[in-house]
Amino acid sequence: MSIVKQVILNADEELRYPTPGELRTIRSFCKTGEERIRLARTLEEKAQAIVDRGTQKFWQVCPKTPSNSGDRRKTGAAKRDMGWYIRLISYCLLAGDDRPLREIGLVGMKELYTNIGIPLANILQYLRCLKAEAIALLDEAEAAAIIPYFDEIIQELALPGPPYYMNDGPGESEPV
Amino acid sequence: MQDAITTLINSSDVQGKYLDDASLENLQSYFRSGDLRARAAMTISANASMIVTKTVAKALLYTDITAPGGNMYTCRRYAACVRDMDYFLRYGTYAMLAGDPSILDERVLNGLKETYNSLGVPVGATVRAVQAMKEVTTEMVGAEAGREIGTFFDHICSGLS
Repeated sequence: MSIVKQVILNADEELRYPTPGELRTIRSFCKTGEERIRLARTLEEKAQAIVDRGTQKFWQVCPKTPSNSGDRRKTGAAKRDMGWYIRLISYCLLAGDDRPLREIGLVGMKELYTNIGIPLANILQYLRCLKAEAIALLDEAEAAAIIPYFDEIIQELALPGPPYYMNDGPGESEPV
Repeated sequence: MQDAITTLINSSDVQGKYLDDASLENLQSYFRSGDLRARAAMTISANASMIVTKTVAKALLYTDITAPGGNMYTCRRYAACVRDMDYFLRYGTYAMLAGDPSILDERVLNGLKETYNSLGVPVGATVRAVQAMKEVTTEMVGAEAGREIGTFFDHICSGLS
């Protein structure tokens, strides 16, 4: 999903042409295109360093974790996953929209890590370390564009998701 | 549907790769033509009904198709034809904005040929009309933008025949 696609789907929903305002959005989106391509390239260059340094930092903060257990396969998989999150962020920079990150990486993320037995708190800590390293490695303008996507992943992990419980008066509460 | 950006992202993601230089080059040329596309969409949207009127006048109005026995005879069928021309123009504009024809395949061409055949709508005349629409639109938006949207009108034609 990109901004352009969103505009088109909204317009088609109402059988109309895109409004001048929507077309202005597309124009300014295209105008910042080169800058966003540059950002994506920078992020790709620094991805490896962010992952390597973030991992070291994570192990200092949280030494007892599957990726630090000495099992090289687990270490490799953890670093690979974190690299993938950075790759998804580079897609988002190009699309101007968080949809690639959400659709590819966030939907089902908690279930996945729960299933393979990695504590979510550790993943959360890991991502916070990556974020800190990313801030250190990027300049201010780059960080301003990139960090919100890190925050989005962190929030996905940190905020409670379903099942929701509601207070439906006296009696037994059931998950909705 | 896809657009120029999501197509590139999806094909890179399947390989687990960052966008390579060729993809970024494509993206860059799409971004560069963004202004052109948005301006053309503005012009088309402001003149949509006129474009359809001119198209019908150019390709259909003075042919046998509007005479008794033709497939555009009776106001109802004429109106249905005008509506379809309207759709072609609007979806052509969407595809131009997206820089990708998939929305045409999904929302216009999917089953269209079969529908037209079952209703007795002549495909040849439809294709001539879409080609006329390409010319009328190009006159209005200029040669460069006309080439952009022209490829999508051609896409409609090739999907019909």
